[in-house]
Amino acid sequence: MDQQRSAPQRSLWLGLLVCVLALAVNATFTAAFAHGVADGDKGYIQESSGILFGPFVYLGAKHMVTGYDHLLFLFGVIFYLYRLKAVSLYVTMFAVGHSITLIAGVLLQIQFNAYLIDAIIGLSVVYKALDNLGAFQRWFGFSPDARAATLVFGLFHGFGLATKLQDFELAEDGLLANLIAFNVGVELGQMLALAGILILMGYWRRMSSFAKHAGLANVALAIAGVALTGYQLVGYFNS
Amino acid sequence: MSDNRLPSENELPSPAQLLRSTLVAVVVAAGLLVTLVLPAESAIDPTGIGRLLGLTQMGEVKVALAQEADAATHADLGEPADAPASAAPPQAAPAEAAREVTVTLAPDEAAEIKVDMLAGRTIAFEWETDGPRVNFDLHGDGPGIDYHRYTRGTDARVTGELEAAFDGAHGWFWRNRSGQTVNIVLRVRGDFTDVRRVM
Repeated sequence: MDQQRSAPQRSLWLGLLVCVLALAVNATFTAAFAHGVADGDKGYIQESSGILFGPFVYLGAKHMVTGYDHLLFLFGVIFYLYRLKAVSLYVTMFAVGHSITLIAGVLLQIQFNAYLIDAIIGLSVVYKALDNLGAFQRWFGFSPDARAATLVFGLFHGFGLATKLQDFELAEDGLLANLIAFNVGVELGQMLALAGILILMGYWRRMSSFAKHAGLANVALAIAGVALTGYQLVGYFNS
Repeated sequence: MSDNRLPSENELPSPAQLLRSTLVAVVVAAGLLVTLVLPAESAIDPTGIGRLLGLTQMGEVKVALAQEADAATHADLGEPADAPASAAPPQAAPAEAAREVTVTLAPDEAAEIKVDMLAGRTIAFEWETDGPRVNFDLHGDGPGIDYHRYTRGTDARVTGELEAAFDGAHGWFWRNRSGQTVNIVLRVRGDFTDVRRVM
């Protein structure tokens, strides 16, 4: 009985913890400026031109592995996928979606407001958590096609990546090759992150408590998504 | 449609499989850390793989930028490097002037030359290196304006006109990433009052 009561509390704490971590990571990756010269990855990119395949693959992978919003969405997507074939199908839909908008967005210089795009990415996490909870079925009597939704939200995640990349002010020289390298890196980073998530999920799914906590975990995921969305909207209205 | 149901036993990896995956993951992660992440972030490259992929070179630039930012923070506490407001009193009649300045940059070194201009005044400028391309950033700062960019890029020679967007100091930042020593000659002509190297 005690355990029953503390479980929702735990999921709330988990959601809060994810939000705090997200904010901390965000603060760490906000570039510091000295004399209009950025440091870190942005500084390196601004000082480079020409084809730099290795570095851009690395930067793409780093962006994915450290991108908590993309990881939360992926976590939601594979939550109830047990077969590797199903996992690859959904992850491919996501990859196709974000590759299209990542490359097209930068090449066509499509600029969206970074806060609004990130707010939509936050909503994609909420959507996936609610879908996992069966909320759409309960509320509307039907669920949106999960594969189509993964593709569509993949497109938004790609615009988010494109917006951040344009903020890096890539040199024209070698742009296409570097973009492709970055995209390759995004996919590699996604596979690495996914492997880690799947191993942890593997342990969890074998526990008898998985059934008990699966719903709560998705409630926590939804909370994290709402917090991400709210955080980005606050940023939008303050900017 | 995702079927949110619970897994059956035969859909789950066995404990032995999980253990094996975990061990592989730990080994792969440690390998990536040493061969890719350390070179790319801190220019620490014990295997030489990072240099092969161009990651160590990225790490070196990042380390250098971090050190310079650190040094700049300390220097800023001592003396404000750019004080355009006092350097360019608006009443000073800008004479039609022409100046030539030469700077020499060792590999990875940076320099900045600024001229004082009033809003709307123009200069014609031309700079060239003795061969290698350098990174440049033409920008200005003034009272209440930390940084205003005009153009930036990588080149060995640039000619152009600059119209000051506001009263203040406007000029060129160059960074030599060519790997060899570079001489840069800058010629400026027009409505400016003072030329100085600020960095």
